[in-house]
Amino acid sequence: MSEKKAAPAPGDRVVIGLTFGNSNSSIAHTVDDKAEVIANEDGDRQIPTILSYVEGEEYYGQQAKNFLVRNPQNTVAYFRDFLGKDFKSIDPTHNHASAHPQEASGTVSFTIKDKEGEEADPSTLPVSEISARYLRRLVGSASDYLGKKVTSAVITIPTNFAEKQKAALVAAAGEADLEVLQLISEPVAAVLAYDARPEGEISDKIVVVADLGGTRSDVSVVASRGGMYTILATAHDYEFAGFALDKILMDHFAKEFLKKHGGKDPRDNARSLAKLKQESEATKKALSLGNNASFSVESLSEGVDFASTINRLRYETIARTVFEGFNRLVESVVKKAGLDVLDVDEVILSGGTSHTPRIAANLGYIFPKTTTILAPSTTPTAINPSELQTRGAALQASLIQEYEADDIDQSTHAAVTTVPHVNNAIGVVSLSESGEEVFIPIVQPETAVPARRTVHVAAPKDGGDVLVKIVEGNTHIKVTKPEPKANGDSKAAKVEDAADSDEDSDFSDDEEEEEEEKREKVWKIGSTLAEAAIRGVKKGGKVEVTINVNADLTVVVTTREIGAKGGVRGTISA
Amino acid sequence: MATVVALPLPALPSGWSADKDFKVVGKVTQDHATQRTIEPVGPHFLAHARRARHKRTFSEDDR
Ligand SMILES: Nc1ncnc2c1ncn2[C@@H]1O[C@H](COP(=O)(O)OP(=O)(O)OP(=O)(O)O)[C@@H](O)[C@H]1O
Ligand SMILES: [Mg+2]
Repeated sequence: MSEKKAAPAPGDRVVIGLTFGNSNSSIAHTVDDKAEVIANEDGDRQIPTILSYVEGEEYYGQQAKNFLVRNPQNTVAYFRDFLGKDFKSIDPTHNHASAHPQEASGTVSFTIKDKEGEEADPSTLPVSEISARYLRRLVGSASDYLGKKVTSAVITIPTNFAEKQKAALVAAAGEADLEVLQLISEPVAAVLAYDARPEGEISDKIVVVADLGGTRSDVSVVASRGGMYTILATAHDYEFAGFALDKILMDHFAKEFLKKHGGKDPRDNARSLAKLKQESEATKKALSLGNNASFSVESLSEGVDFASTINRLRYETIARTVFEGFNRLVESVVKKAGLDVLDVDEVILSGGTSHTPRIAANLGYIFPKTTTILAPSTTPTAINPSELQTRGAALQASLIQEYEADDIDQSTHAAVTTVPHVNNAIGVVSLSESGEEVFIPIVQPETAVPARRTVHVAAPKDGGDVLVKIVEGNTHIKVTKPEPKANGDSKAAKVEDAADSDEDSDFSDDEEEEEEEKREKVWKIGSTLAEAAIRGVKKGGKVEVTINVNADLTVVVTTREIGAKGGVRGTISA
Repeated sequence: MATVVALPLPALPSGWSADKDFKVVGKVTQDHATQRTIEPVGPHFLAHARRARHKRTFSEDDR
């Protein structure tokens, strides 16, 4: 892939996982198959994606971020999304307070003074060069930490990165002397980070990954099936993200400042504005941990110092519209996937903004109690949302580091990755306590084939000859509306299908309706595929049913009494 | 790694019979499936890719 130098031989690689965000980047490696995030020489694990030049000296990360106040014109920030893009199609909103993007030689560029000396000419650098310089620093930090030159990386990218953007990123990494083993999707890296934990159980589940960053929020619905991941839907938003929360605090403290001191609005002066932004972000982060946070800036405007405090409740009130935006985004993508919130087993909160307790709590309100919300404030064992992607990337890097580049290319080719996924579940029919037929899923809908799943099902209490009925199944949402309480005892409940019921779920603090309708996911038995008999099962016995769905949708059923000899095997041709 | 289900299977209806005790009734047709892309990430995908490239089945892979 890298055109400059021959790629290292698999045995000589030193690999890392790398995330390269518009706001922050991070690097990780694995030790005994466990991911560890690497701190750079400043001690940072979240390294601001910023490059700054002062007197010809190059700074990156937090040090460069600090120069946004004193040296904004020679500081380049928020550039990752410009890689591989035409100037016409970029959104420069976030570059007002630092070097401005411009069009030069047909690409997005920045003009900065990167050389020493008063009379040195400024350089106009394409975003590819800025990226390469920044990546080189990250690789340098990782190499210093590991004590070996890092040669290769798995890098995470948003799900809507176009081919040109991917190519530009691989080329920029190549310029930085870094072999890109693979580009992987950010949400999938986050799921992998969770699944790879020793206590992580591989199961069939629907996962929503809400990646709430600094300048963008990206949400995906992932069908996780036996450790294989299929993205069912994605949504992207550039309005509701971390910067919008900073803005709310900036406005809040600017107004407070004006009320107290009068004079000039700190938002009208570039330097004051930069200070206001920096401290507002710090205050915002502090509010994720504590109930109160302070805000303090020396010489905020016209030489006047300003100090204040804010409590979490006040913050959550003024930031409510942004928080509501996150909920709407998540709801929209679940709908886009053709699913209901009841179908979602897990919500993984990823990205820096996901540290905010209110956001996790609000998402908790739209999903049923059975959905696990994986965020620091809701689940004590949650992984740091800022580290999920880089951990996943490091794990993937260690999995593939021994592969020849050709093998990686072949394995990630559409011929291998694009496969049929079953629309319906495949399972067996059991009996409920009241003797009604119920569907027991074995292979879940949206499972990629070939697939193999096994269940152990109880036989009738007294044993004997048992029917194994293989059927397709599907879910629907059953809504039970309580009758108006007028006539006292109202046992008769109205049941209707939820197909087009409006689900304006209300996550606000308003008083809830007394009588809530009950929504539940129920399995419906579909068409029968096959029947098998297991004879003479002993009292209290169990039956094992294995379903193999082949690539051509042929279904092979194997079933037997557990612990007994023999069994039945049959093939349902497609 | 099998899921355990407590709800019992039904008893075999009297008179039920089939060759080798297995009777095909329907099938999973192409219109019951959608072509989608699996993410080429994680150990289970790698196992899938290995099987696909060597045209091996799950049980051949187990050995
Ligand atoms: N503890 C925290 N509480 C609240 N917000 C936080 C916290 N830590 C970081 N953030 C915010 O998270 C955002 C950065 O998110 P992240 O590190 O995921 O960046 P990113 O993926 O590079 O962002 P993007 O590409 O969207 O700009 C910033 O707005 C930052 O202020
Ligand atoms: Mg991000």
